[in-house]
Amino acid sequence: MLDKLKQAFWKALTPDLIAETDTAPVPGLLSAEVLSALGGVDNLKSQQRVALTRVRVQLQEAGRLDEAALKTAGVPGVMVLSGGVVHLITGL
Amino acid sequence: MTPSKPLELLAPLSGVLLTLEQVPDPVFSSRMIGDGLCIDPTSQTLCAPLAGVISNIQDTGHAVSVTDDNGVQVLMHIGLDTVHLAGKGFTRLVVDGQRVEAGQALIEFDADYVVLNARSLLTLMLVASGEPFVLLAPEADTVALGQPLMQVSPAQASDAACEEQGDAVFSEPLTLPNANGLHARPAAVLAQTAKGFKATVHLHKQAQRANAKSLVAIMALQTAQGDTLQVSAAGEDADAAIKAVVTLLAQGCGETVEAAPQAAQVATPDTSATLLRGVCASPGSAFGQVFQVAEPALHITEEGAGTSLEHATLTRALLAATEALQALQDKAAGSAQAEIFRAHQELLDDPTLLEQAHGLLTKGKSAAYAWNSATTSTAKLFLGMGNALLAERAADLADVGRRVLKLILGIQDSTWELPERAILIAEQLTPSQTAGLDTGKVLGFVTVGGGATSHVAILARALGLPSLCGVSMQVLALTNGRQVLLDADKGELHLEPDLAEIEALQVEREQQLQRRERDMAQASAPAATRDGHRIDITANVASLQEVQQSLPLGGEGVGLLRSEFLYLDRNRAPSHEEQADTYSAIARALGTERSLVVRTLDVGGDKPLAYVPMDAEANPFLGLRGIRLCLERPELLREQLRAILASAGLARLHIMLPMVSLLSELHLARKMLEEEAQALGLSELPKLGIMIEVPSAALMADVFAPHVDFFSIGTNDLTQYTLAMDRDHPRLASQADSFHPAVLRLIASTVKAAHAHGKWVGVCGALASEVLAVPLLIGLGVDELSVSVPLIPTIKATVRERALSDCQLIARQVLGLEEAAHVREALRQFHAATVDTSPVREN
Repeated sequence: MLDKLKQAFWKALTPDLIAETDTAPVPGLLSAEVLSALGGVDNLKSQQRVALTRVRVQLQEAGRLDEAALKTAGVPGVMVLSGGVVHLITGL
Repeated sequence: MTPSKPLELLAPLSGVLLTLEQVPDPVFSSRMIGDGLCIDPTSQTLCAPLAGVISNIQDTGHAVSVTDDNGVQVLMHIGLDTVHLAGKGFTRLVVDGQRVEAGQALIEFDADYVVLNARSLLTLMLVASGEPFVLLAPEADTVALGQPLMQVSPAQASDAACEEQGDAVFSEPLTLPNANGLHARPAAVLAQTAKGFKATVHLHKQAQRANAKSLVAIMALQTAQGDTLQVSAAGEDADAAIKAVVTLLAQGCGETVEAAPQAAQVATPDTSATLLRGVCASPGSAFGQVFQVAEPALHITEEGAGTSLEHATLTRALLAATEALQALQDKAAGSAQAEIFRAHQELLDDPTLLEQAHGLLTKGKSAAYAWNSATTSTAKLFLGMGNALLAERAADLADVGRRVLKLILGIQDSTWELPERAILIAEQLTPSQTAGLDTGKVLGFVTVGGGATSHVAILARALGLPSLCGVSMQVLALTNGRQVLLDADKGELHLEPDLAEIEALQVEREQQLQRRERDMAQASAPAATRDGHRIDITANVASLQEVQQSLPLGGEGVGLLRSEFLYLDRNRAPSHEEQADTYSAIARALGTERSLVVRTLDVGGDKPLAYVPMDAEANPFLGLRGIRLCLERPELLREQLRAILASAGLARLHIMLPMVSLLSELHLARKMLEEEAQALGLSELPKLGIMIEVPSAALMADVFAPHVDFFSIGTNDLTQYTLAMDRDHPRLASQADSFHPAVLRLIASTVKAAHAHGKWVGVCGALASEVLAVPLLIGLGVDELSVSVPLIPTIKATVRERALSDCQLIARQVLGLEEAAHVREALRQFHAATVDTSPVREN
């Protein structure tokens, strides 16, 4: 409902200028090891810091995720959700 | 009591373990609710850590407690500040009083929804009954669902369980002020206080009663804002306990609550007062009669008269509301207003709202009750999200809610029976209210809330009616029909105007009309001071239509094209060609002799874009706005630059970057502009400038100046950032005044820095459109004023009435004053001294 509301108000204000890919990963949020465990930078559609302790990433291909490698890379908790969404618990 | 064997608590979730100290919420980290631990979940079903009975599961599904047969009570709270989600994202699998096995699923939650919409997903498991425990694997940093996590020692006789001693004393009934009722946080504070007394303390809600020393019992009362509660106590310190608990409840139990409306104060205004002051939101004056815009109280019966009947009633009302909104849209003065009603229409179709309402209908509730519950609970949810945009949407939702409710109850819609010459008085006016106005009968507006940039102010200026805001609550007590004199220019409402005052104002109004005619006649002449100093007067526009309107009014170009509004009247996002055509059409309308300043997309968390996924920001005005957003999403900016560049050569093209605060932002944007221009094979770059609306840019103007072609000062944002006052804040808006000397000093130093490097400075904020500010801005050295289209002739005429030397004198003088009000007063005196000779001079 929130999304719908936002759309109703701002759809008209905005040109569809950007492609989905534009939420280009910002380097620095995740280390190289973590990125590679996620299937490489190319496999990332988006990443954002959320809810104090998490980095939420969207993967192009969820199958390329290597959970064991993430643990080795120092991510203590990984939550794999539908639609290629993965939460990495990075702590406070 | 026989000691029971040690109890093992199982992990209710999989996840990463944290200690309570680490939890960034004092309610939990201080252990006031109980000791325990925290799990950052990686699973989405909360399971019972022990066998027992569900002693409380919150309606909102974010917290649950289980009590075993020995009285050990474990509370689980999913996430931080998740009460604001009002149940969204949580599915309850058990009910109060249900017996559950250890490991049984209790609550399912949508982890992705919660992390995107609440503060945190950190989940607490606390032994609320207070027994000591030991961790079974103290070194572990993760835990798997169902794994034994802690061992609780046998219960000792708890002092909270003591018997009621003697007769209970009762408090007076009181109304609960907390917006979300007594949820975990305030309940914990309350229990903590109650525990400080020997007496037994109970909280009563109608027939229900809860031990006030038990957090869970308090939560189980499921209180809501506005509930009537009573406190009772029995025992030696009963009176003291009641006093303490009642005081705490009235103060919100540690939550900020709005003070109870001081009805008495409003009802008995100071009758000796003959003058009320406010802030001028729209200039002018009027003598008229008071008309209080008060919405009638709606009487809603909870029980329905049969499901199918109520269903039909709701459907009919929704249909009628949709039609009414359509009619409003067709009549709406501007596209922005039409857009608001279109959004209201969308709300009527919203599946979540309808689902909620229909759910209540099937329970036998009336249509009015069901619809009212659905809209108010959702509005409350929006309010709790801590997002200004959504909070505004809550107002919209309330607006729509009321519209439908009135239709259900058969109450005439807000086409009030306005008397002639009405001066509308209200605490605040909503878009719906102002849209339906018979403007032929309205002479002015007076509101308690709002500031010079509020919705009603903008509307009043568009209608050319005087408007005063920030007036004391007393005004709401004026009786309908009372004759009052509204002098918005002076910020005054005279309650007992004498004839002389009224006539003086009527004469003044007459003169204003004549003046307007004269200004219009001279609109096309250039704006130069009496001593020949030329000022460019350009237009702030948001459409080709406004550009076309500005030209016959004497507009000398466009000083601010708000590019984000170019796409307003479209259902679909325009292609590159369409965008390029729009910019080109505007440029062509202006021609090669006039300037066109296009501001690049100025949006952000406070006005999010549907097409740009953005994090919700705690503080959007200090977040990714303007150029920051564009640099974060470079394709957005490049695409827009390409479209703007397509109009190169058709007008004197300028590109302006909003919200610049760092030099690097300018460099990055310039590089992009150069690359795009090169790709298009343009030999000549358009001029590139920045908005000065952040204090850092104003203070560093000498550093920015060599790298830009011009500055344009956005006084609205500059004011709110300089004074750290939200211009929409109900209490602060009237002080967030651009006439404050701090703002003026920043303008002065910006101009000085720009001129030292041979660059020009414009002002495109609301300050430029204020007649009173014109001599000041000229005196400060501003080269261009970009003003709202209808005001172009007036501003030009104002320039012509002054001498540059006088303006410089007054500008120097006001920079040394203490506050905005002093500046306004000094400028008023200056105006009287230099112009008042005769407002209608020889024709």
